[in-house]
Parts: sequence; C-alpha cells; structure tokens
Amino acid sequence: MEEKVGELWHRLITRLAQDRYPQAAVCLTELDKTLGILFRALGGDGGLRLETAGATHHHARRGLLQRIAGSATKIELAWRDEHALRLPEVIDLFPQQSLNRDLYFWLAALASGEQGRVEPWLEKNQRLTRETLRRYPGMAGRYQRLLKAHLSQRPDPARLRPDEAAQEAAIRQALANPGAVSHLAPARHAPWPVPLWLHPSPPWVSQAGSDSAEPENASAGEAQNLSHERSRRGERTEMPEAERGLVTIRMENILSWGEFAKVDRGAEENEDLDQAVEAAEQMEQFNVTRDGKSVASKLRFDLDLPSDACDDEVLSEGLLLPEWDWKRQVMQEAHCRVMTLQAADAQPMELPARLNRTAKRLRAQFQQLMPARLWRRGQADGSEVDLDAYLRFATERGSGQLTNADNLYLDLRTGARDLSCLLLADLSLSTDSWVDNHHRVIDVIRDSLYLFSESLSATGDRFALYGFSSRKRNPLRFHQIKSFDEAYSARTRGRIQAIKPGYYTRMGAAVRHAHRLLDRQPAQRRLLLLVSDGKPNDLDKYEGRYGVEDTRHAIHEVRKAGIQPFCVTIDERGNDYLPYLFGSGGYVVIRKPQELPRKLPLLYARLTRE
Amino acid sequence: MMNKSVTAPARELDEALPFYKPQAREVELFEYGYRHQLPVLIKGPTGCGKTRFINYMAARLGRPVYTVACHDDLSAVDLVGRHLIGDSGTYWSDGPLTRAVREGAICYLDEVVEARKDTTVVLHPLTDDRRILPLERTGEILKAPPEFMLVVSYNPGYQNLLKGMKPSTRQRFVAVRFDFPAPELECEILVGESGIDGETAQRLVRLANAMRALKDHDLEEAASTRLLVYAATLILGGYEPVEACRAALVEPLTDDTETASALMEVVHASLGR
Ligand SMILES: Nc1ncnc2c1ncn2[C@@H]1O[C@H](COP(=O)(O)OP(=O)(O)OP(=O)(O)O)[C@@H](O)[C@H]1O
Ligand SMILES: [Mg+2]
Repeated sequence: MEEKVGELWHRLITRLAQDRYPQAAVCLTELDKTLGILFRALGGDGGLRLETAGATHHHARRGLLQRIAGSATKIELAWRDEHALRLPEVIDLFPQQSLNRDLYFWLAALASGEQGRVEPWLEKNQRLTRETLRRYPGMAGRYQRLLKAHLSQRPDPARLRPDEAAQEAAIRQALANPGAVSHLAPARHAPWPVPLWLHPSPPWVSQAGSDSAEPENASAGEAQNLSHERSRRGERTEMPEAERGLVTIRMENILSWGEFAKVDRGAEENEDLDQAVEAAEQMEQFNVTRDGKSVASKLRFDLDLPSDACDDEVLSEGLLLPEWDWKRQVMQEAHCRVMTLQAADAQPMELPARLNRTAKRLRAQFQQLMPARLWRRGQADGSEVDLDAYLRFATERGSGQLTNADNLYLDLRTGARDLSCLLLADLSLSTDSWVDNHHRVIDVIRDSLYLFSESLSATGDRFALYGFSSRKRNPLRFHQIKSFDEAYSARTRGRIQAIKPGYYTRMGAAVRHAHRLLDRQPAQRRLLLLVSDGKPNDLDKYEGRYGVEDTRHAIHEVRKAGIQPFCVTIDERGNDYLPYLFGSGGYVVIRKPQELPRKLPLLYARLTRE
Repeated sequence: MMNKSVTAPARELDEALPFYKPQAREVELFEYGYRHQLPVLIKGPTGCGKTRFINYMAARLGRPVYTVACHDDLSAVDLVGRHLIGDSGTYWSDGPLTRAVREGAICYLDEVVEARKDTTVVLHPLTDDRRILPLERTGEILKAPPEFMLVVSYNPGYQNLLKGMKPSTRQRFVAVRFDFPAPELECEILVGESGIDGETAQRLVRLANAMRALKDHDLEEAASTRLLVYAATLILGGYEPVEACRAALVEPLTDDTETASALMEVVHASLGR
C-alpha cells in the first residue's frame, strides 16, 4: 500500500515537474532573427529557413494523471533537415525566462554543427554537444545552467523500474559528460525526452528508407510502435516526382478538416490505416510546420484561380528559359515557357484624382533631385572661369606657344543620367488579400506603379514596368505594362489600372526574363527593381528551397551581368529569405503596405543617387 | 599553440621592414613583376593587408612608394601634375605618378575603381611595353626607368561591380587575389601585430570567421583583419574583451540593433561570459 501511494505521489511530482511555465515563456518570433544570425555565424547553412517544429510524440512513460488526461505524450523538440532549422514555437520548460531563452540559443548552436550525418541519436547529440562546447567555449556557462535546470526536471532513476533507471542514468551521464555513453540499454519505454538535444528521429524520412539511424533506445515492442509512427510521418518525404502529390485528399475531407496539406500520397505506404484518422494527424503536424501559412488560403487559390484570362493580348509566347535545380546543381535548359501579355481592353485614362497631390509633390522632388547637376569643365561658354584651363592657356602663351583662348569656362548643367530601370511587380494571387478594410495588396501595388511612373517621368531615366505570375513552369505570364521604348502615357495608366491578381510566384523565371530585357538596354547603370509580397512559390516543387535557390541563382546572374537587383517587399517575413536572395543591402521590407506607393519612388531616388 | 617567441625575433631581424606575413606566393609574384616591369593589380576585401603588403614590398625592394587614394573626383591632372601659380608666374608641379616615374619608385593607386574611367587611361602608355608617360601640358615624354612600378588595388565587393574597370585598363596588369588570411596565419598576424597572447588571438580569429560567414546574408562587409587587430589592441590595453569586440567588431559592421545583438551572442559564444 505504501508503495502504491509512493508511486502515485511520484507521478504527481513528475507531472508537476514537467508542467510548463507560461509566465516565463519565450516565443520563437521574438528571437528568430537573432537565432538565424547565430546559427549561420556558427557555421549553419545560410539556405535554411527557421521554422517552428511541430509537437512530436515521445514514447516515454506517462504519469497516470497524464494518461488519464491524454496529455504530455507530445513535446516540441528541435531538428534540422535540408530545408529548415526547426525550433519549438514557444519554450516554457523552465521557470526562468532567461533559461528558456538560453535553450533557444543552445539549440541553434547545436544545430549549426549538424551536417546531416547519419548516426545514432545518442552519439550524434553527444558529439554535437562536445563540439559546440569545444568550438564555442562561451556556450559552456549556458549549457551548465540549462543542464542543472533540466536534470532537476528529469525523473529520478531511483524511482524508476530497473531497466528504465539504467537508461535514465545513462542519459544523465551523456548529458553531464557528453561522449561518455556509447550505448543505451533497451527498456520498456523510450527515455524521457531531452529538450537540450536535437530530435532523435526527425519526422523527415528519406525516401530510400535508410533506417540505419533508427535510435537504439527503443525496446522491441517500442520499435514497432516507432516505425509505425515514422511511416505515418512519411508525409515529409520529398516528392519523388514534381507533378505528383498535390491536392489528392478528397474534397469533402478537405472541407471538413478545414485545411489541406500538400501530401504526396504516391509515397504512402500505409494504405490500410484509417484515412480519416491519418488526415487528422497530418493536420496536427502540418498546420504547425508548414511556414505558418494557413493552408486554407491555398485551398482558395485553387478554387478561385482566375479563369484563363481572355482579356489579355498575347504579345509573344514560346520563349523558353532555364531553371536551376539546386539539388542536382544543374541548370535545366528550356524549362519554363514565358508568355508576354498585354491588357487588351485597357482604356487610356488620367491619373486617379486621389493621387494627384502626392504625384505633384513627387514630381517636383524628382525634378530637382534627380539629374545630378554638374560643373562641366573646358566649355566654350559658361558661368565661371575654368581656372585650370585658364592657367594652362596662360602658361602656354607665356612660353611662347600659340594657343587659342577657347574652352576656358565652367558651366553648370543638368546632365540626364544614363540609367535604365525595370520594375517587376509580383502579381500572384496573394496580392488579392486585404491589407486593411479598404485596400487589397493589388491596389497598393497599382498605386505604387502610378506614383513610380509619375516620379520617373519627371526625370530623364528610362524605365519599364512589368508584372508577372506563374502556373508551374508553363507558362510564366509576363505582363507588359510599359516597355522601355514606350513613353509613359494615358495608355500606360490604363494598363496599370488593369492589373489584377494572377497565379503563383515563379520568381526565378521572371527575374531571368527581366534580365534579358535589361540586357538589351545600353545604359551604363541598370536597375532591376522587384516589388513583391512574398517568397517564391508555385504549385510544384517551386515551393520551398527549390524556388528560393532558383531565384537566388537568377539574381546572382543578374548581378554578374552588372545589373543591380533590388527588392522591395511588404512581406513581414521577408527578413527570413531576402538576405539570402538579395544580400543584406539588397532589399527593404516595408512594414505598412499602405506606405509602399509613397516610399517606392523615394527608395528609387536613394538607390540611384550618386 | 601560437607562440609569441616564434614571431617576435623575425620582426627584430629586419627592423626596417614592416611586419608582414605572406598569405601565399604574393611576395614572389611581386618580385617577378618588379624585375620584369609588369604592373600588378591586387584585389581583396578591405583590411586584409593590401596596403601593408605594398609597403612591405617597397621596403624589401628598397624603393619609395607614392600612394594615391582614388576617389571619383580624381582627375588625370591629380596624377600627372599641374601648373601652379608662384611668385614669378606659373610653374609646373609633378603629380605623384610623374614623380614616381622620374624617381623610379613604386606608384600605388589604392581603390582604383573609385577613379573615373577616363582618369585611368593616363596609365595606359605606362602599362604596356612602351612604358612612357607623356606630359601633354609640358610637352615632355618621360620614359619610365626599370625601377618604376605601378601597383593598383581594389575591393571586388559587389558594390563595386557596377563600377568595375575598363577591360582595356584591367588587362594591363598581372593580378593577385588577397583574402582574409587562413586562421593559423591570422593568429600569427594578430600576435605579431598587437602582441596579444596566442589563445586570445585564436578566439578572436574564430569569432571573425564566424562573422565572416554572415557576409552578404546578414552583413554587407566581412570583419577585417584590421578590425581584429583593433580588438586585440583594446584587449591588450586592458579593455574588457567582450566589450572590446563590441566596439571593434560588432558596431563597425552593422547599424541594425537586432543584428548587433545577434552578433553579440556570437561574441559571447566565442569568448565566454
Ligand atoms: N599579412 C599580414 N601581415 C601583417 N599584418 C597584416 C597582414 N594582413 C593584415 N594585416 C594587418 O591588417 C591591417 C590592415 O591591413 P591593410 O591596411 O593593409 O589593409 P588593406 O587591404 O589595404 O585595406 P583597405 O582596402 O581598407 O585599404 C594592417 O594594418 C595589419 O595590421
Ligand atoms: Mg589599404
């Protein structure tokens, strides 16, 4: 009897000990920029994004109360795969906020050493811990604090069954003395989770099914459970074929789940699992792991796609562009088809009255600000004497040479700048969303195009306006609003008025096409200004790292050709991927989309000043 | 592992030579260039030792150096020379380039891409096999002696991509690329330059390399050897190490407070708190 009471009491304690501390919680969103920089500085891959990790089942023994309540089988752990470093959305494991913060930093540092080597979980984490402490001695203090706090939360081995106690003792030793433990004896339950370590078996499983990394910590019975668990998580497997795997959950399911996930059913092994339960479990995982983007909005994308626009005149089609495959590190020639379109029924129009005042002010600013005023030396006529020229003239005459007294003046002139700018606006469907009660993103972009054109036409700079959207790689719809050779006119305004949200954002292809257009411009300085509201994406594998890498490659080429790329975005999360695409000085995030129209011309002025 | 007694005597041996640790075979290349009258182009990020290298080579070869820091207002006249007004009318005054040619010295144009392209064409007759400098204004044509050497440098960061050099200018030089020294070497440089202990030098170098990994993504510029020397100097002077790194490595590289605080985390990780 006493024993029973003791055990119950212990369970109660365990439950309390692993209670969370919401008042000390630290959120990933508070720290993500800092963590990203730390991760990259310590050697982490710059192409990875930072994401929240979904809660993962652990198989450790649960307290009775928890079992009754069905809680505490899940814990958010951290891991990295080839796309992202995944960290818990919130850490509230410790009563002190500083410790929760420390844990984020510790995990980022640990993950930066992870090279994706296949090795048992226990060894890997001990090795990473040891290496991190060796390379960054400043992490030692942090680790000791975390270790102390965490050990006090782990179950007491003295109160566990012998097999579990042995396991627990080994884990404790591995934590305190990383590298010391090479083997974990099997026990009935998996060991208590170690939030100081990277995830034992990331839910991402390679298609080849190399299960050699199977953690050895699971007993036979548990192993079965685990592999079951893992196959269920097979949805993170890479899509084997680009075309497979979009929405194949039946429609009624989607609607009842409220969300859908991009699941490759082609790779599903466990057909006999109850589909509904499975979908539900995927939901649970997906709505936290996939870029935080609500999948519901994607669903709408597919139902609402604009009907094949017949109000666009096709100017040219059939041009094929390459695309970069980062995984194979090869350029895929002739991979995307570009179709150049122009709004057919756009009526010439005046500038909308609400923009008149701003436009006027901007024009005035640009007129005096833009074309640099220069003193020209050695002019036949001018407002000042060119002393240099005069001196030379006087010397030559003094030494008896016959010289003419011409070109002895300085003149102040406004030289037109030798500059061409192509503005490329993202017209994907996401521009259909609302920024406030009155404006959609597309309206903001439209006003930006107006004010940008008004400002630039006050200078001598040559400019062109294009918009783009895509539906997979065929076609990329490239909307011509104003080419370099056209003057800005009422017709241009009509076409600006006619822009509308299109499909997806295959940014790399659009950048490549803009690059070609700019290449034909003879100007000395050429600027590619990209106005966007989100990261590269498309229906196929373009979503995720593939698209980011392709875009990066295209931008790199642009830069190599001596064209200056610059991105203006209203995507609040732009800081996550834009530095990787454009470099730290190559983009700005405009936090209030409503300010874009006014800011864009000023940004242009700043970019081209010199 | 880095040990001061190894580097210090070397310095004492050639008291006249500036302290310089070769990165690769640049010393040899420079000497070949000098002996065979080839102009040399040095490219590399800021603060990686370009200027130091040239001063070292000049001392080694026993030639004076005329250094011109180029900027976009620099005109050919500033290089070649001009007439000035004196007591008795005007007189001609040699510019640094002309003086170097006359004396058989090394003329060093730092950050040459900053100069306008029409300025650098005055270098053309000097940098092909003619090796002459015509002084249009005095009618003189100077023939460069064998000891004259032209060296230019620039930083090929992408901010400079737009400026670039005219191919016809560029293709008149043998070129060598500098980068930040390898970690071991950079430690030796720190030790030799500032006198700091080897272990601190190692930590500083590791920190710098961590920060260099952020170039282009989070930072526009990589932490230079020069800044590392500054940090080492502050620390050696008794300044608190973490704060020294803030002052010499973090704040000079970013104005963004969030980035700065992230960099401070990297500093803490590398140096300890
Ligand atoms: N190889 C080296 N040997 C000795 N000292 C070095 C070396 N490399 C760099 N340094 C140190 O770095 C400092 C900066 O180097 P230096 O002034 O030559 O840079 P730089 O390449 O000319 O930079 P910038 O492009 O900004 O002019 C030097 O003062 C010296 O202390
Ligand atoms: Mg220098």
